[in-house]
Order: sequence, then C-alpha cells, then structure tokens
Amino acid sequence: MSDALSARQLAHTYADGRVALHPMTFAVRAGERVALVGPNGAGKTTLFLRVAGVLPGTPGHLAVCGLDPALAAHRSALPAKVGIVFQNPDDQLFAPTLREDVAFGPLNLGATAAAAVAVAEEMLARVGLPGAGDRTPHKLSGGEKRRAAIAGVLAMRPEVVLLDEPSMYLDPRGRRELIRLLNGLPGTMVVATHDLKFAAETCQRVLVLDAGHLVADGPTATLFTNAALLDRHGLELP
Amino acid sequence: MTLALRDPPAPDSPLARWDARWKLAGLLALSVGASLLETPGPLAALLALTVALAVVGGRIAVTAVVGRALLLALPVAPLLVVLPLADGRRGGLVAATVSVRLVAVGVTALVLVRTTGFPTLLAAAQALRVPGVLVAVAQAAYRYSFVLAGEARRTRVALRTRGFRLRSDRRTYQTVGYSVGALLVRSADRAETVAAAMRVRGFTGAFHTTVAFRTTAADVVGFAAAVAAVAGLVAWDRGSAGDE
Repeated sequence: MSDALSARQLAHTYADGRVALHPMTFAVRAGERVALVGPNGAGKTTLFLRVAGVLPGTPGHLAVCGLDPALAAHRSALPAKVGIVFQNPDDQLFAPTLREDVAFGPLNLGATAAAAVAVAEEMLARVGLPGAGDRTPHKLSGGEKRRAAIAGVLAMRPEVVLLDEPSMYLDPRGRRELIRLLNGLPGTMVVATHDLKFAAETCQRVLVLDAGHLVADGPTATLFTNAALLDRHGLELP
Repeated sequence: MTLALRDPPAPDSPLARWDARWKLAGLLALSVGASLLETPGPLAALLALTVALAVVGGRIAVTAVVGRALLLALPVAPLLVVLPLADGRRGGLVAATVSVRLVAVGVTALVLVRTTGFPTLLAAAQALRVPGVLVAVAQAAYRYSFVLAGEARRTRVALRTRGFRLRSDRRTYQTVGYSVGALLVRSADRAETVAAAMRVRGFTGAFHTTVAFRTTAADVVGFAAAVAAVAGLVAWDRGSAGDE
C-alpha cells in the first residue's frame, strides 16, 4: 500500500524563533487511521497546518498524496486531497446556512451550484444531519457543529482527513456518535487528540508527540499499555 | 436547547418574491434618490413610499417599522434641537432633511434584510458585481457577529459570577476595557484560524454560491418602477428648489 503522507526530517520554526517541530520522520499509508497524541504545545496543530500547506515550509520534507505542500504549484491542488477539521467548529463554519457552508469547498473546486448542493445534502445526511441545509450554524449544538464541520470537509472528497481534537466540546453522546461516524468513513485519517480513549476507539496506530519531538510510533494496543511512556509525556492511560 | 431554534422565515410577500438582484438594485436606487432630494415635499413622499413598501409590499409590522425609524432618528435628534436654535428656519429644514434621508434609507435597508434571506442577499450582491472578497467578508462578519455576541455574553456572565457589577467608576471602565480588549484579541486570533480553514477548503478570494436566480417580467417592472419613482421625485425636487 502506498503512502498517503510521508515526512522526512520535517521540522518547523515560527517567525518569532519558537521551534514547534524538531526533525521527524514518519509515513502514513493510504487508508490507515493514525492518532497523533501529546500534551498541549506538542506540535500537533502545527504539524497539521504544515501538511495542509497553511504554514510555509522548505520543499522536500513532506509529501501528501504525491504533492509537496511547500511548493506553491502543489499547494493549490492540496485542498482536493487533504481536509482539516479544526479544533473549534466555530472557526470552520462561517456561512449563514449549513448548505452554503458544506457547498463552499466543492464550489471552490469548480463544482456547479447544483452539484455542490447535491453533495452538501449527501454529506449532511452522511454525518447525521439530513435535511439540515437551511439551518444556521450558530443555532446548532456542539455535536451538530462538529458533524457539520466534518461534512464540509468530506464534501471535498479528500484522500486524507486530519481531525484536530475532534472530541473536544462534546458530551458523551456526541462523542459516541462521532466515533461511530469516523469509524464508518473511508480513507486515510489522522486524529490529533488528548483523548486517548477516543484515539483507541478510532485508530490502529499512534504517534506520540512531545515538545515538538516525535517520541513514539507504534500500534495503539501496544503504546497505550505502556504506562511509563504515557506518564513521561504527560498522558494518561485510557 | 439549540436544536429547537431556527431563524424565523422571511414572511411571504410581494417583496420577498422579488428577484433579489432586481430588488437590491431597485432599493439601492431609492437610497440614492434619498441622498439627492433636498426639498421637504419630495423627501416626505419618498419616506412615505419606503414605509408603504415596508408595510404593504414587505408585510413588515407597522410597529417594527416605526420602532426602527425612531431608533434611526435617535442619533440625529440633537440636530433637530440645535440647528433650529442656531440657524432658525433654515437650520430646522437642514435638520429635518438629514433626519428624513436617514430614516428613508434605513427603512429601505429594513425592507431589504427582512424580505431577503442572507445567503440570497450575498448572492445578489455578487451578481451585481460587488467584489467577491467584500461579499465573503460580509458573510463572515454576519456569521461571526453571533459567535462574538456569544463570547461577550459568556464574558459578562463570568464577570458577574465573580461579583462584578456595572457602576460609574474607574474600576468598571477598566474592567469593561479589559473585556473588550480580550474579545478583540480573541477575534484577531480567530480571524487567522478562519482564514486558514477557508484556504484549506480551496478559497482563493472568489465568492461562490449555491443560490440560483430567475428573472421574470414582474422583477424588471418592479425595478423600472423604483427608478421611475426616483426620477419623478428628483424632477419634482429640482422644480421645487427652482421655485424657491
């Protein structure tokens, strides 16, 4: 199976000199489910923003579905390949109705209005919000906002989906529904989370990040029984 | 709780059924007309026309129209007192002209927003060649005004739970200043994330919409009537100004 995502000596330093990622190397195979775990400030969001081409980087360190996010020519093609579900759904849901919001990506990719509406309705139904196209984002519950944000990303039919703290702000029922939804989705998925129980229920493999270093990479079942490792890096056994 | 809440649908009315592009252009013409008129007769006629549009054409409750009109007149109320004292009848006329213009434009805007869904209004603006970035900014501003209002509400509750009460003292002003400052800083942070979220979904500055329009003869007639009304009022206005 080919790699959907591969990083080779990937590092990132912000303009103010803060080192967010120290050189790290890993690969995620197509179709794989990987959890990216670590304490606050570990570099999870920075890694996502590099993968999606939002943060600038040096060419040659990262390949996402055959594209290098550091190259301007490749970056314009990235939205069709990689989708990010942001930590706070309010950062993502910006349109006045769910239909407009979910159709936003397909329209940007050149879909006709009719096709974009069709895919928006399909994706809203898929995430458990059938017929909710006319609803306004600010009147949704936290779980509904999260699912609407996922619909907005799925509508672009990306090969890789990155989810940043997807279980945050969710009540147990919303969390359970989200796990069911994610486990039913096809494609490659990387889930950044503090919620190790959530990671254990959605991912087969774990990357542990701490202070910008990739400190462990292995099967979920193995790493999540290593209490010493988790404790060392500010995590708790699920 | 939030599951049960929805935006009230725009009431069905002749204006709600008017193609939003022609409606926007027609109401824009009325607003421009308001800024061109200078004599009391034509201005009063325009105000009466906009109120009639709101109440009859848009089926907006009279109380809502009057309430908004009074609210709009509030900022210029001092002019109505000061200018007649400073410049006699001429000052009074200037104050009345400014007030009526403002109220007429405000009522026109009320008609527009109460008879047109926001996505449709944005699509109409885009169809009338308003730059895509401006339309996208308007869209985001509308959406995030609710988010910011929610954050302001939470901040107020948090302050109250720690014993804060609004008073006319230095500490109150300082606290309010800190809260507003924090809200602005959070907004700036959020703006960056929102922009990133839009870019990763392929946004490059162009505004796209799923709203489709279909023009009928009635839409064009409505627009032509608005333009004709403005032209007639301007002609009357110029004639009245010449007589004086």
